[in-house]
Amino acid sequence: MSCLELNDVRKTFGAIEALRGVTFSVEAGSAVALVGDNGAGKSTLMKTITGVYQPDSGDIRFGGVSIMGKDPGAIREAGIEMIYQDLAIARMRDVASNIFLGRELTRSVFGVRLIDAKRMRSEAEAMIARLGARIPSVAQMTGQLSGGQQQSVAIARALTFNPKLVIMDEPTAALAVREVEHVLDLIRTLKSHGIAVILISHRLTDVFSVCDRIVVLRQGAVIADDATRDTSMNAVVAHIVGATDTPQKGANP
Amino acid sequence: MLKHCVAAVSIAALAFGLAATSAFAADKPVYGVLMKTLSNPFWGAMEKGVDEGARKAGVDIFLQAVESDQAAEPQLDACNTMLQKKPAAMITAAINSTILLPCLKQANEMKIPVVDLDNNLDPAITKKAGVDVAFHIGSDNEAAGAKAADYLVSVLGQDAKGPMLVIEGLSGNITGEKRAHGFAEELKKKAPGLNIVASLPGDWDSLKAANITNDTLQRTPDLVAIFCANDDMALGSVEAARSAGKDKLIVIGVDGNVNAVKSIKAGRLNASVAQLPYLVGMQAVENVKKVLAGEKVPEMTYVPTLVLTKQVIEENKDPLLQYVK
Amino acid sequence: MTSTSAAAPASWRERFAGGAAVRLESLIVLAVLCAAMAALSGAFLSVSNILNILLSTSVFGVLAIGMTFVISSAGIDLSVGSILALSGVAGAMLTSNLDLPWVVGILGCLVMGALTGALNGFLITKGAIPPFIVTLGMLGVARGVALVLSDGVSIYGLPQQMVWLGQGRPLGVPTPVIILLLTALVAHVLLAHTRFGIYAQVIGDNEGAARAMGVKVERMKVLLYTLSGLLSGLAGLLFAARINSGEPTAGLSYELTAITATILGGTNLFGGRGSVVGTLIGALIMGVLQNGLNLLAVRPFYQQIAIGAVLILAVWLDRINSKEGWRR
Repeated sequence: MSCLELNDVRKTFGAIEALRGVTFSVEAGSAVALVGDNGAGKSTLMKTITGVYQPDSGDIRFGGVSIMGKDPGAIREAGIEMIYQDLAIARMRDVASNIFLGRELTRSVFGVRLIDAKRMRSEAEAMIARLGARIPSVAQMTGQLSGGQQQSVAIARALTFNPKLVIMDEPTAALAVREVEHVLDLIRTLKSHGIAVILISHRLTDVFSVCDRIVVLRQGAVIADDATRDTSMNAVVAHIVGATDTPQKGANP
Repeated sequence: MLKHCVAAVSIAALAFGLAATSAFAADKPVYGVLMKTLSNPFWGAMEKGVDEGARKAGVDIFLQAVESDQAAEPQLDACNTMLQKKPAAMITAAINSTILLPCLKQANEMKIPVVDLDNNLDPAITKKAGVDVAFHIGSDNEAAGAKAADYLVSVLGQDAKGPMLVIEGLSGNITGEKRAHGFAEELKKKAPGLNIVASLPGDWDSLKAANITNDTLQRTPDLVAIFCANDDMALGSVEAARSAGKDKLIVIGVDGNVNAVKSIKAGRLNASVAQLPYLVGMQAVENVKKVLAGEKVPEMTYVPTLVLTKQVIEENKDPLLQYVK
Repeated sequence: MTSTSAAAPASWRERFAGGAAVRLESLIVLAVLCAAMAALSGAFLSVSNILNILLSTSVFGVLAIGMTFVISSAGIDLSVGSILALSGVAGAMLTSNLDLPWVVGILGCLVMGALTGALNGFLITKGAIPPFIVTLGMLGVARGVALVLSDGVSIYGLPQQMVWLGQGRPLGVPTPVIILLLTALVAHVLLAHTRFGIYAQVIGDNEGAARAMGVKVERMKVLLYTLSGLLSGLAGLLFAARINSGEPTAGLSYELTAITATILGGTNLFGGRGSVVGTLIGALIMGVLQNGLNLLAVRPFYQQIAIGAVLILAVWLDRINSKEGWRR
C-alpha cells in the first residue's frame, strides 16, 4: 500500500488553475523528487498536502485514509511533516519553542495546562544532539542563528514526532557543499527507517543521488513520473522546460 | 458577486436609515444651528433650548454638530454645507474664534444674519475680518468662575485660610481658561487667605480629575476646596475625595448639568454654577426672530448664571431653576 | 560561532527578568523617574502615594494588558477607549435605568466589552479586513452607540456594590489596584506560560509558520480581540465605579495611552514578543510621571512637553542599548 496517494487533485485561485488534476503516489521508505520550473505548482501542491490550502476536488489519501478537509495541525498529527523553504521559523522564540511549535509539552498546575519549558529544552537538546547539529544553546533566539543552524532547527522539528512522510522544500538551496551532503545523508537515513520523503529541488544531482522516483510538474499537471533508474538528467530537464510534449501516465492534457 | 451586493445594499440601507433620523418639514423658515458637539450635556441642553425657542417662534431648525469640540476643520465644512441649504439665519457656536470666519463672511454676502452662540467669537477679530455678527449671546465664563469663588467665600468666610486646587479644562481651551481665571481673580480679591497651590489640566476628563485630586491630596492633605472648570470633572473629583475619606472637602463645578444636580441632591457635590445653556439656546432663537423682523436686539447678551446648591434645589424658588435641564 | 557572543546578553537579561522578556531599560527609566520625583517632592515616597499611583494606573493599565496580547500578535486595537465607554454606559443603564441588580451591571460591562471585541475579531478574520481599519471603525461605532444609548448624557449613580469596585479600600488597598494586579498576574501566566499566549506571539512573529505548524490562526485572532474587548469592559467597569457614573465620553484617546504603556514596557510594536510584566512597568512609568507632575503642580502646557519627551527618551534608550537585532 502506498504511503501517500494523490488522485486528480485540482486547485484554482480565482481564474488561475494552479493544479489541474495531479495524480501520483509515494511508497513508504522511498524518496520521490518533485521537480519543475518556477510557477509549475510545486509549492501549491505541497501546501495542499499539508492542509494550508484545501483542494477544490480530487482525493488525497495517507496510509489509506483520506486526509481531505483536515487542517494543518491534524495533518501533522497524522504523520506528515514539511520542512518549508522559508523554514517557518518564529525568529523571536528560542530553539526549543520552535522545535515544539504546535506540539508544546505541558504540565498541569492547579488544573491549568502550562508550557513545560524545561522539559522542552532538555528534549530539544537531545534531538539536536541526535541530529549532530551544532547549535550553541536551545535557549537561544532562533533568529540569531545562521541560516544553516536555522535549517537544523526546522529539520529537528520535522523529525521529533516520528513522522511517516517528510516533505522538504528546497532543503539544499542555501547550503554549503558539506552541509548539502549532510542533508542527503539524512534523507537516506529516513528511507532506511521506512519513512517516505518528498524532495522538492532544483538541484538535479541531489535528486538523482537520493530519490527513487522523479515526478515532473509543469503548469499544474504531472508531465512525467519515472523511476530514477529509467530516466536521465537530460530527459528530466527536457520535461521541465517542456521540450517534449508526450504526457505520461497520471498527466492530464 | 453576492458579497458585493450585500456590501452595497448595507451601505444604502445605512444611508437611508441615517437620513430618516434628520427629516423635517419644509413649509416653515429654517434657521441653521451649528453646534460644537452633542456628546456633552451642556450642548444637549442648549439643543433642547433651541428646539423650545423654535417651537415658540414657529420656525424649523437645521441643526449640525461635529464629533468633538476639537474638530475645528470639520466644523468649517459643516458650516459651508449648511450654507448650501440657504437658511434664514446662521446660529453658530464656533470651536475657536477664527475657524468659521470664511463661512460666516460668505453668509454675510448671502444676506444671512450670523449669530455668535455661546460667545466663541472675539468681536475684535470679527471686525478685522469684516464679518458682521448680528448679536453675541451666551454665558460669561469669567463671571461663572467668579460666582464659584463668591460661593466658596460665602461658605468659608472672607478670613478663611488654606490650600485650594483648581482643575482646568483642556490645555489651551478658552472656556476652561476663562472659568479658571475668573475664579482665581475673584478669590484673590475676596479671600486672599485661600491659596491656590496648583492649577492642573483635567482635560475635561472625569477620571483624570479624580487622579489629580488623589495626587494633590498626597501632597496637600489639608486641602480645603477644589474648583473644577466643568461638572464632569467635578463629579470625578468629588468621588475621588469621598473615596479617600475627605468628606469635608468642598468641590465646586460649572455647568449645572443633570448629573451635577443629582450629586448635589445626594449631598456629594457642594455646588455647581449653572450656565443655563437651555436659556441661551431658547433666547438665541427668539432674538433671531426679532432681528429678522427688523427689531433691535443688544449686540452682546449675557444670560444669567445660577449657583446650584442643595438648599437652592430643595427650596425650588429661583425662577431660573426651570431652565436647569 | 558568531552568534554565541550575541546570545550572552540576551540570556542574562532574560534571567534577570525571570524569563518574562522585560527590558531592563523599562525598569531603569521607572527607577530614575521615581528617584527624581522622590528628590523633588517629599510627598512622593509614601505607601499611600504609591497606592495612589497604582490607583491612577488601574484603568489604562487594564486596557494596556489587553493591548499587549493584540500587539504581540502583530495586531492593533484602536477601539479600546470607545469599548470602555460603551461598557460603562451599558453597566450603568442596566443598574440605574433598568434597576437590575449590581451583578447584572458588572456582567453587563464585561459581556458588552467581550462581545464588541469578538465582533472586531470576526470582522478581521472572516472579513479579511486589516485590524487597523476594523478597530478604527469600531472606535467610532462603539462611541456612537454609547452616545445614542445614553443620549449623550452620563448616567450618574451606580449601586453601592459596583461603586465599591472603584472606591472601596479593603485592608487599605484601593479595589481597582487589587483588580489590576490580579488581572496582570492571570494575564502574565496566560501570555508567557500557556499555548494561547505563545501562539499569540508566534502569530505576530511569523503568521505563516504558525499556520503551517497547525496553529488555528483565525480562531486565535477572534479570541485575542475578544480578550482585548473583555479587558476594555473591565476597564469601563472600573472607570464607571471610580466616578460613580457611566460616561459616554469616557476614555477618549485612551487607546494611545494603552499603546504607549505597552511599547514602553518592551512589547514589540510589530509583534512577536510581548510581556505583561513589562506593560505593567510601562503603565507605571506613565502613572509615576503624571503623579509627579501633579505633585509638583507643573503648569498644563509643560506637562504635555514632559510626557512626550519621556516617551521618546525611553524608547531611544532602548534603541541604543539593544544592539542585538533579529535576522529578518
